[in-house]
Amino acid sequence: MKEDLVLPAPREAATGGAGEPLLVVEGLTKHFPVKGGFPIRRTVGAVQAVDGIDLTVNVGESFGLVGESGCGKSTTGRLITRLLEPTAGTISYRGQDISHAGRKQLAPIRSEIQMIFQDPYSSLNPRQTVGKIISGPMEINGIEPDGGRERRVRELLEIVGLNPEHYNRFPHEFSGGQRQRIGVARALALEPKLIVADEPVSALDVSIQAQVVNLLKKVQQELGIAFLFIAHDLAVVRHFSHRVAVMYLGKIIEVGDRNSIYTRPRHPYTHALLSAVPEVDLTDAGAGRRERIRLAGDVPSPIAPPSGCRFRTRCWKAQDKCATEEPPLIQISGNRAGHLTACHFPEDPTIEGRDEDIVLDPALAALEED
Amino acid sequence: MTSPIDIEGGGTSVVVDGEPEPKKKPEEQQLVGRSPGQLMWIRFRRDRAGVISACVVIFFFVIGLAAPLISKLYGKNPYTVYADERPELFDSAGVPLQPNGGISGEFWFGLEPGNGYDVFTKLLYGIRNSLMISLAVTVATVVTGILLGVAAGYLGGKPDFWISRLVDFLLAFPAQLFFIASMPVVVSLFVSPRDETPVYVRVVALIAVQWVLGWMSLARILRGTTLALREREFIEAAKVSGAPPGRIIRKEILPNVVTPILVQSTYMLPNFVTAEAGLSFLGVGIVEPTPDWGQMFSKASTELVMQNDITYMFFPGISMIIFIVAFNLLGDSVRDAFDPKSER
Repeated sequence: MKEDLVLPAPREAATGGAGEPLLVVEGLTKHFPVKGGFPIRRTVGAVQAVDGIDLTVNVGESFGLVGESGCGKSTTGRLITRLLEPTAGTISYRGQDISHAGRKQLAPIRSEIQMIFQDPYSSLNPRQTVGKIISGPMEINGIEPDGGRERRVRELLEIVGLNPEHYNRFPHEFSGGQRQRIGVARALALEPKLIVADEPVSALDVSIQAQVVNLLKKVQQELGIAFLFIAHDLAVVRHFSHRVAVMYLGKIIEVGDRNSIYTRPRHPYTHALLSAVPEVDLTDAGAGRRERIRLAGDVPSPIAPPSGCRFRTRCWKAQDKCATEEPPLIQISGNRAGHLTACHFPEDPTIEGRDEDIVLDPALAALEED
Repeated sequence: MTSPIDIEGGGTSVVVDGEPEPKKKPEEQQLVGRSPGQLMWIRFRRDRAGVISACVVIFFFVIGLAAPLISKLYGKNPYTVYADERPELFDSAGVPLQPNGGISGEFWFGLEPGNGYDVFTKLLYGIRNSLMISLAVTVATVVTGILLGVAAGYLGGKPDFWISRLVDFLLAFPAQLFFIASMPVVVSLFVSPRDETPVYVRVVALIAVQWVLGWMSLARILRGTTLALREREFIEAAKVSGAPPGRIIRKEILPNVVTPILVQSTYMLPNFVTAEAGLSFLGVGIVEPTPDWGQMFSKASTELVMQNDITYMFFPGISMIIFIVAFNLLGDSVRDAFDPKSER
């Protein structure tokens, strides 16, 4: 069961067009209508799940999307795979606008954008054999690989670290990690160029998480597939992604390459997120201590998001300007190239401990008083 | 993983002169997975009550199918009026002379007081007709239930709203009253009141009336199941690979709703049998001389038969009780086999 951790060097040929944008998303918006009223039900509001986000995924790149639960990460993934219809904005894949394409128009692109799902227990049809599950996408798209579909499926099973003899088995005979591998094999069956992985490891226990993340990393590097990796686990995203975007309440508040985001964050929310990651520190407390920020309250309702900067209600630096003016996502002074932040009063680019901890949670503050 | 077995096999081979080869075969066979259907079948076969009741139910269907053959071997048919053919067996009122309705080596279940039909063949044909009608109703309601229920669940929105309202509307009808009231109406649509009503018109009307008010419960269950399935990620996975809606319904949804369909239809069929018998008992279903299970009850309760041949009631009565109980037990076993976690 042990994952082979030796990763082969990335194939340069496969990522030949690296740096070239594969997927460009502009102003992507999804509002879910809220119905109410009697006797005639009408739209009384909208859940602004995703509210105008821009992102670019380059060929062969893995792009991480992090944020709290309910901030619109999964909706973004579902919009990009066109499981949901965007309210506004454009999604273009290789320069082709697919934001409102129908099933028939999407057919040639379908095989290039695939998805890995969150829950391995509901993402496999319990009535189909593993062979059928993995060969299904090939059948739908009329792909007949050399040597037949069955051989290809066995090959894929081997790639994802399962026994090819499991071809005739049913999903209920596998564990969660193995099921997720089957899901990965299904996504790979069409030789996609882009895989949207929607929290692919959050339903697995930690020991299995590492195996599956390493499998995805191996696949990504060997086959040169671009990934949109959606997760709430910062460590997993750090391990996996080249570039990372942080989402808060339907908006991207900070985006940049991995090291820049993790070691030189600017947005207060990114600081708070990073400082919330538990850390095993065996050295003396104090030396090289990380900053400590504890936020209070919950994410505001996406039905009526705060005006201006959406984070202002929980931000310790919020001023009047934040309520009136929405900060643009720009490269602010002190950022490295490609590192964009949406904040009027950015923090210092460091995660070092500060003189005073920021503990906004009254319960926690009271505990620490004692 | 296999090494302990190999070592063991290697150890014995020294003694038994090398025969570890067949040991590897079960190892290979293990890799063939069992489908949920196969698992259900294995669980069902372990359930003794289920197997016995399945045998009883099959027995009834075989009797029904083989009724013409059995009566040919037996040498009689249910339409012969023995009061005319063999008047020596009856008294002046048309009651068989021998006790218990004239049960004898020749007439196993006796003769019917009045016209003197042979009870054994009448029962055989009665079972045959009742089961065929109920089976037709079940097939019609299951097909309608699947079509409308899955459509409502999968499409959602407006179609779901209208189908659900139709279901609510039809469920509000008092079914038994509606059957009784509408049977003569439906029959008169096809046949003018002055003509003799052909048997097939009554049969078609019986099937139609029960079908119209029979499909809603299954449709409701399937709508709910489909609604839950539609949100499952494997449906989204099929959509991401570009599967058309027809394929999603056929390959992804239908195999997953087989369980409620099978369980519900095993509960529905005995209900239709009793409902059909009830209608015939009340005189709006199948009428003389066509044999029918329910109509035999109504015959048994007429004054002439009640007073002279009390045993007549036993044959349709006991056979129907056995059938209904067996079928309901079968339904329970099917449900338990599909869903072993549900407690009784």
